[in-house]
Amino acid sequence: MNFIFTEEQMQFKDAIKSFLIDECSPKSIREGWDTKKSFNPDRWKGLFELGVLNSNLPEDKGGLGMDQVTLALMVEEMGYAGLPEPVAEQTFLVNDLISLLPKDIGKAIEETYDAGAKYISLAHPLAPNPLFIADSAGLILFDDSQCKFIAKEDLNFEIIASNDPSREIYKINSTNNVISSAENFEELNSAVSARGALMTAALLIGLAQKMIDLSSAYVLDRTQFGKPIGSFQAVKHMLADVAVKIEFAKPAVYRAAYSLSENNPKSALHCAHAKLMCAQAAELACKNSIQAHGAMGYTWEMDLHIYMRKAWSMMACWGNEDRQQDIIFKTLSSTSEELGVLYTF
Amino acid sequence: MKIKFTKEENTFRREVRSWLESHVPKKPLLSLDTKEGFEQHREWERTLNQGNWAMVTWPKEYGGRGLDLIQWLIFEEEYYRAEAPTRVNQNGVFLLGPTLMEFGTHEQKSKFLNAMATGDHIWAQGWSEPGAGSDMAAIRTTAVLEGDHYKINGQKTWSSRATYADWTFGLFRTDLESERHRGLSFILVPLDLPGITVRPIPQLDGEPGFAEIYFDDVEVPVENLLGGDGDGWKIAMATAGFERGLMLRSPARFQQTAAKLMELYLAKQDHCSPMIQAKIVEAWAQSESYALSIYHTASKMLAGGSIGSESSLGKIFWSELDHMMHQTALKILGASAELSQESQDDAAKWIKGFMFSYAGPIYAGTNEIQKNIIAERLLGLPK
Repeated sequence: MNFIFTEEQMQFKDAIKSFLIDECSPKSIREGWDTKKSFNPDRWKGLFELGVLNSNLPEDKGGLGMDQVTLALMVEEMGYAGLPEPVAEQTFLVNDLISLLPKDIGKAIEETYDAGAKYISLAHPLAPNPLFIADSAGLILFDDSQCKFIAKEDLNFEIIASNDPSREIYKINSTNNVISSAENFEELNSAVSARGALMTAALLIGLAQKMIDLSSAYVLDRTQFGKPIGSFQAVKHMLADVAVKIEFAKPAVYRAAYSLSENNPKSALHCAHAKLMCAQAAELACKNSIQAHGAMGYTWEMDLHIYMRKAWSMMACWGNEDRQQDIIFKTLSSTSEELGVLYTF
Repeated sequence: MKIKFTKEENTFRREVRSWLESHVPKKPLLSLDTKEGFEQHREWERTLNQGNWAMVTWPKEYGGRGLDLIQWLIFEEEYYRAEAPTRVNQNGVFLLGPTLMEFGTHEQKSKFLNAMATGDHIWAQGWSEPGAGSDMAAIRTTAVLEGDHYKINGQKTWSSRATYADWTFGLFRTDLESERHRGLSFILVPLDLPGITVRPIPQLDGEPGFAEIYFDDVEVPVENLLGGDGDGWKIAMATAGFERGLMLRSPARFQQTAAKLMELYLAKQDHCSPMIQAKIVEAWAQSESYALSIYHTASKMLAGGSIGSESSLGKIFWSELDHMMHQTALKILGASAELSQESQDDAAKWIKGFMFSYAGPIYAGTNEIQKNIIAERLLGLPK
């Protein structure tokens, strides 16, 4: 047992952290809002050049074959920065699916895929509104029984507004020339559902950490009754409650990621666990952070809502708290002998 | 990173399991907060020590096995799985033990650690005073150096296990001119000395789990001072860290409760609404998270890291979780939840645990104090 990150894992995390500090400031995110163009091609190119976009593609497809724990550590940083580009929710998920996809679809994707320039969008009943289609090469579409691929020129789509202005989401009106397949569907569907839960969980933990950092800085700065409001216990305790939630959500993310990398048969349960813990942490982070900011927290001007809005979306997509609880309950009640002290690892 | 047990760790687990299977008393012991039950639990400590299991992380020369924290966690998992008796000497083995290891002289270590391991010294805590609860720096009990001994006068309270224990450790004011955190010393006191009066305090469950200790010109030899005269606060903070942190509440305890809760639910689900399901899920998810977090921390410590204010996060988490699980159990039990803990009903254990779960957010530093620590030391907020 050695539940600790390798130096290499931390290097990847640190590399993307410093990239995002420079390239994904609140100011740049707001510019995307103002111009209605949150997908920033320069930032995307930077991520590609850093090796991020191909990191979890298998090595024989030109990627680094990166493990899920390193991926989750990087995604945490994307959450922390509020990155608008759909790296975690689309690119990483699609990369992971590549080797599982039905042959026809895999072939079509390989012909259109070019991570540096064009990416593949993804829609699934758990996250039905694909992101940034206008910049994509095509769409992988899951329904209840089939996996489909549609090239961008065969898609008729329209933009719909998300409560998070960084998220350019779309509704698909009609499609042509659909390649569809039911081959391997169960496995594919559970793989993408578990990974979607994990990716959104990792984003949420980063977002929660960002909100608590912003709030800590604010309550140190804001003075009332002649002292910083952060010296009042009512304020301290609200933020401490969030710190507790974050602390105990994080290891669930790393364990779920590890389980996926190891093809652990319980990885779906572990991913549901991670998403549940992270959604709860982020939910409390939203509630207590806005409260710590007082009326300023309720303004458009304060940066807090950049991260709050993304957190709300990430709680909703790829299975909300209710769904994860349901997965966990069904698993535990059907295999209750596997509960308890001997079944964690 | 390798989040799974090694072959050696699994072999160790089997060794622990087979020893416990043949040694754990078949009939549950009486409550350790009764005189007879206390002695039964002392006997169990002796049995553990004969098997060399008193404290697996201690060096061999002090009765341990020189194993690492991961192996200790495995030992604990097996211990709870076997439903072995509560450690009556947890104040000793989990709190004073690690403190002695860090601050004790060689003589102190060999005297006290060995007697702790054999069950000859069962320890009580001596922190709080009537005027010094959460504000521990307000301690007023004095220990005045007179030649080769300290003369102690004053009163301690809420001393866990003091009713039947042999020794207590705690903080005393050795510099009478001092205030607050300065001038305090960490002293080990035998409870059978002349001038000591122990007055048991019945707890919520009716048993005398803690007591008041009165000191009236009690003379304690100077070699019972741990660390330097005036170093008491620093040492006490280290002990409190052990208490909140890894040692006192290892994850197995809560995972075992979560598993039992699921069992209870499955047996009684026909009488429950679906609303209970979310609570069952929370019990599993949170106890699982607690275990993951502790293994993560233990791995970091093995790689040379240390645990500081982070232990406050854990203390809040497990105490709230424990209370939530017991509340849920009582909801599942329906009208049986009003039965006495003495009843023969299966509900009795849950009811006793339920009452005890109210103590969790209070002892080892109230959760409000822990939140102040988190806010000030981890989030950087002002005092």
